[in-house]
Amino acid sequence: MKSDQFSVVSRLDGDAAIIYPKGYLNNLSGESLVIECGIYIGKGITKIVVNFGETSLINSIGISLLLQIIEDLRNIKGTICCTNMSKFLKDTFEMLGLMKHMSVFPTETEALKYLRSGKK
Amino acid sequence: MSTELKKALYNISALADLGQAITSEDDFHEKIQSAFYVITGTFLANKGAILFYEKATGQLTTLTQKGFDPAGLNRINPQELRLLVKNEACLIQDALLPAVVGAEILVPLWVRNEFIGTFLLGGKLTVDPYTPEDLELLNVIAHQIAIALNNHSLFMDLSEKLEENKRLYEEMRHIYHGTLQAFAAAIDAKDAYTQNHSYRVAKYSAAIARELGWSEHDIEGMYVAGYLHDVGKLAISNDLLNKVTPFTPEERAEIRKHSTLSHNITAKVKFPWKNVEDMVWHHHERLDGGGYPDALAQDSLSEGVRILTLADSFDAMTSQRPYRKRMDVQSAIAELKRCLESQFDNRIMLVFCKVLEKEIKGELSEPDILPHLDKDSDLTVISSMLEAIILELSVRE
Repeated sequence: MKSDQFSVVSRLDGDAAIIYPKGYLNNLSGESLVIECGIYIGKGITKIVVNFGETSLINSIGISLLLQIIEDLRNIKGTICCTNMSKFLKDTFEMLGLMKHMSVFPTETEALKYLRSGKK
Repeated sequence: MSTELKKALYNISALADLGQAITSEDDFHEKIQSAFYVITGTFLANKGAILFYEKATGQLTTLTQKGFDPAGLNRINPQELRLLVKNEACLIQDALLPAVVGAEILVPLWVRNEFIGTFLLGGKLTVDPYTPEDLELLNVIAHQIAIALNNHSLFMDLSEKLEENKRLYEEMRHIYHGTLQAFAAAIDAKDAYTQNHSYRVAKYSAAIARELGWSEHDIEGMYVAGYLHDVGKLAISNDLLNKVTPFTPEERAEIRKHSTLSHNITAKVKFPWKNVEDMVWHHHERLDGGGYPDALAQDSLSEGVRILTLADSFDAMTSQRPYRKRMDVQSAIAELKRCLESQFDNRIMLVFCKVLEKEIKGELSEPDILPHLDKDSDLTVISSMLEAIILELSVRE
């Protein structure tokens, strides 16, 4: 399968960072996702929302990179929320047992509402 | 679709990812990093490491890792790993790797009978234990990683040998040039008036060849031909070479033998450069066929011969000789120009003038001609003269 060039953009919404990966998360270019999250974690941000709206596919390399973000947040007692996930992503995360280590929401708004509710 | 089936498909997909990572055009470290991500992503391992066995030192080098204490990885004894089953994942017993805290899986990597390295994994994010199916999958992965590491090892061996060969070649080249310089010194020592003549002709010739756009290899050949063009003079008597009065016809014939003698001497050497012996043989030929030893003309004279002829003549004119005073630079250039087409090649003259002009203007960082010219020369006058010749010859071109 031909993979599009992977890229990441992000923004800060209050005390949460919203990350927008774009493209197939399947090779070393996906390290930019870890780096982007790392920048926010380095600044003291502990709430990260990853909006997968433009990333519908992931492979074992992408899973490893996501695992890294989960571990980095766990080390600072942070929270990762994933939103706008394709069925493929949901099924893959479910099958691997990743769902227990993240909070999943249909939309970014719901994720932010959850993070601000203090229920986490 | 059942979870087991999904998991099986994911594992197959991971093996494909691994194959793609290892066979990609990425550099070795990128390949290994990708392979490492495939492994940790497949098993959701919270720690992992790939280590390469350096044959030269007998030590393991960490290529990539996450989660382990680097000092602990450094303390792994490769000899202990060699006792384990080749390319077979094993659950780590407490006693096996006490230094590597958190390691649960170890795979010793082998290709045929050669120990290549190892990889380690920590526990899973899900805290599930490694299953027999996981170990089987790891065995398959181990073979692929081992081959990638072995390819790297072979490449490193070849690179080392290539570097060693390059070093030896440079040493030989150095010795070669030292020998040539000794030869040239021997030639020039026969005649007090021609001291460093061979060296200067070599420098001038190489400068012209460089300006003509020759390859570095061919420029070096030109340089060597410049050094050795008069080597045949070693067989000519000192008395004749240093004679102050005009030569008799017999003496002239004897002197003229030197270019053929230079050829006979250099022809016995297997130079890595082409045409050195041809260039030294014919450096006294003329375009009009009036030169010696073979009265060759025009197309029979190679570019190298034409360069050497001009460089040799220019240095001879600007050097003191027993039978005449040296010419000043302007007069020598004027003489070269006067003899164009009959003796010297227009294009070589044009290039020679361009190089000298660049050197005078300081456009060349390492000038080859200017440092050897008469220090009292009026460079402004010479420069004007060169500009006029360059203009004239460029039009003819």
